[in-house]
Amino acid sequence: MKKKLWMLLVVAVLGALLAACNSETEDVSEGGQEADQEAEEVSGDAENTSGEEASVDLNRIRVVIGSSSTGGDTYQNADAVSRYTEEALDTNMKVDAVGALRAFDELGKANDDGSTIMFFHDMAYLGVEYGSFDQDDELENWRIGPVVATNPGNAFLTSADAPYDTMAESAEWLEENPDETITVALESGGVSEIVFDGYYLWVEEEYGTDVTDRIHAYVTGSQEDKNQALWDGNTDIIHGSIGANKQYTEDGVEDKIKMKFLGITAGERVEGFDVPTFAEQGITVDGEEFVFDKEFFFLMPKNVDENFATALNDAIADVVKNPDYEEDLNTNTYIVNHKPADEAEEYLLDKREKFRSIIERAPDLDEIAK
Amino acid sequence: MPIFEVLTPMSVLLCFLGVFIGIIMGAIPGMTATMAIAIFLPLTYSLDMIDSIGLLIGLYVGGISGGLVPAMLLNIPGTPSSLCTTFDGYPMTKKGEGEKALKVGITASIIGGFFSLTILYFFAPMLASVAINFSSVEKFLIIVFALTIIASISKGSLLAGIFSGILGIFISLIGTFTDNNEMRLVPPGLEDELVYGFSLLPVLIGLFAIGQLLQEAEEGMETASHQKFDLQKGKNKFSFKLFKNQKVNVVRSSIIGTFVGMLPGVGGSAASITAYSQAKNFSKNPEKLGTGEPEGLVASESANNGLIGGALIPLLSLGIPGDSTTAILIGAFLLQGIEVGPLFITSNPDLWSGIIFALLIANLVMFTLMFFSIKYFAKIVLIPKYVIFPIIVVACVVGSYAINNGIMFDVWTLLLFGLFGYIFPKIGVQIPAFLIGFILGTQAEKYFIDSLKGSGGDLTIFFTKGPIAIVLWILILASLIYAVIDSRKTKKKAENQQAA
Repeated sequence: MKKKLWMLLVVAVLGALLAACNSETEDVSEGGQEADQEAEEVSGDAENTSGEEASVDLNRIRVVIGSSSTGGDTYQNADAVSRYTEEALDTNMKVDAVGALRAFDELGKANDDGSTIMFFHDMAYLGVEYGSFDQDDELENWRIGPVVATNPGNAFLTSADAPYDTMAESAEWLEENPDETITVALESGGVSEIVFDGYYLWVEEEYGTDVTDRIHAYVTGSQEDKNQALWDGNTDIIHGSIGANKQYTEDGVEDKIKMKFLGITAGERVEGFDVPTFAEQGITVDGEEFVFDKEFFFLMPKNVDENFATALNDAIADVVKNPDYEEDLNTNTYIVNHKPADEAEEYLLDKREKFRSIIERAPDLDEIAK
Repeated sequence: MPIFEVLTPMSVLLCFLGVFIGIIMGAIPGMTATMAIAIFLPLTYSLDMIDSIGLLIGLYVGGISGGLVPAMLLNIPGTPSSLCTTFDGYPMTKKGEGEKALKVGITASIIGGFFSLTILYFFAPMLASVAINFSSVEKFLIIVFALTIIASISKGSLLAGIFSGILGIFISLIGTFTDNNEMRLVPPGLEDELVYGFSLLPVLIGLFAIGQLLQEAEEGMETASHQKFDLQKGKNKFSFKLFKNQKVNVVRSSIIGTFVGMLPGVGGSAASITAYSQAKNFSKNPEKLGTGEPEGLVASESANNGLIGGALIPLLSLGIPGDSTTAILIGAFLLQGIEVGPLFITSNPDLWSGIIFALLIANLVMFTLMFFSIKYFAKIVLIPKYVIFPIIVVACVVGSYAINNGIMFDVWTLLLFGLFGYIFPKIGVQIPAFLIGFILGTQAEKYFIDSLKGSGGDLTIFFTKGPIAIVLWILILASLIYAVIDSRKTKKKAENQQAA
């Protein structure tokens, strides 16, 4: 009897271990049997053009993201692209929402085999420009991977009962009500700061410092923190996105948490949403329409294995053509925006240069922070 | 929502496996449901959230239920929540009614489990919708309230309880302060290792697995194999008719279990003791309780399984764990990057349904497995601990090493907190209070700072925010006053006894 019980116990524990490691175990065995073949495929891929099947000799790829939230657009995009890319690379990809500082830290310590890579958006370089991240984290110190998607719904929101419906109206409202102030929740060094700066500089040009003196910043972190700041009444406007925040703007949402969009920073409207762009609202900087597209891309260790970088680039080239991936992105109002790694590097460095002039003239958050 | 649209076949299988392993671990004296979950937590990293929940809920229900086996057969509670089960369970076994006692306990367990599940299903969304109105001020005060409640129920050691909670908060703040990205409280030389503070999981596993194992090692880990028990002697067999006269008792005890479970940090033993003492108060034959009456078993077991749904209510609606086990469940959510709080149910409807279905399945599996195979499960109590425990130590070390993709410091953290888990009870530091402080410390700080940011640095905001804040202050004060009065009473009683 005792032996039977022991057998049962051992089987149960092994069963749990196997179940938990199910996916990994499969890959280990496959990886074992096909290691040589995969190695050949990888070396072959290095010379391949996109469109041919890519794979890597890794059981698991950890994708650290620059956000600690699983409700925001970074996680949603990382999750979507990882699900399709892991199939294309014949491996497992695990998205880890560790936050920007830790993500850069992990990437800096990562092996060059591609087992840890990073997925982030424009904050990767804006954070360095604003001084929120270390200079060591600048784009030049990483291997820039492909750009995969855009969030055209990069937006500002306010409470459903706010006395203004657009960002431009918020400035008019401030001018008409000299005793009032507006506080905007944003993340220091984030995309939210650059688009806030665009708005702030336009208000300064259009209405003068009498109005901008009454615009404050509420510096906080993740999307959840910004939402909570609005619900707590600690801020009047928050930065967010159509994908992550539309759930709070729909009919039936409790009044306490109901929000409305005030505008998006993309060049064109998002289909199905009656939210005007900054350009439509007449928000300009230096006489030019203020447009900021929030784009998502991969970063890898500087000396990442060339075969891995090529395999990832090729796999992404396949994934972005997959209509299911496109449909997944569209569900959250994101759109496919593919730039292969070599184009992405030049493109992002140019984009950084373009927005440097705004950053140089931007208000000091320490001075306007609430 | 149809059950199999939410739960995958894998999650059902894992739930089944979780219950099975949980019963075994609960049945081995010295191993608890909390320990079972802590040990299996690292495995959930590679699973989907819904599969993880299946496994962990299974372990929780199985672990709590398994505790009744040694309580009844050996007079040793398998888990602290089975303490009162020994009072009537063991005398019944001595009378040769072991099987009957076990089946009464198992039936009471499933009734308690279903009762608390129903309360959880209806009450958690209601509480969450109220909690949506909570600002950072109220959230901060709820954490303070949670800590004062833990301190106030720690009989005669209010200061130790408060100290334990504060110590937990203090240790949770070690690392980088995210508002300015500066390191704080990090001992010199450990900047690289503690840049993000101590990892939650090695801390949990250390406190609840390694600490407990060290304690058991100190006590000698004697086997019970020399003990003999008769499961069935004579004609007095189990019948469901027994429960005919226990309707009020089972409902009352399930209610007590569920509501005690809702109080942060109050463990299963408190639920079981309260329900048992109430059963005695209302019993027609109170003198018979403790001599082998099914009435006592029903009270204890329906209360400790009722605790499960109750403890999940504050966790899923407020983000505050109801007991040490649900505190560890927070770790599972954090591993998957999911924040539990007032928006959890509306933002994760599939997961919420998954938890409810997993609890339903786990209770059914627990009942079926235990009721029909109790003769075999009864033998588990005889498994020698000196064979099991080394395997567990290895599993803990491997799990801690793997959890953050191979960081050796996490293993040192495991061992350090294992040592703390062993030493803390000896020096009066209360582990539940410490743990809740550790888990909620960073949140408490964040809500405190957010409140001040919103008020422009005005500390009076904590008193002037609104009626909910006032109610919370009253509750905090009431729990402290209760603790002081209770402490004085206990002291007086002890003095009187000494004098006598």
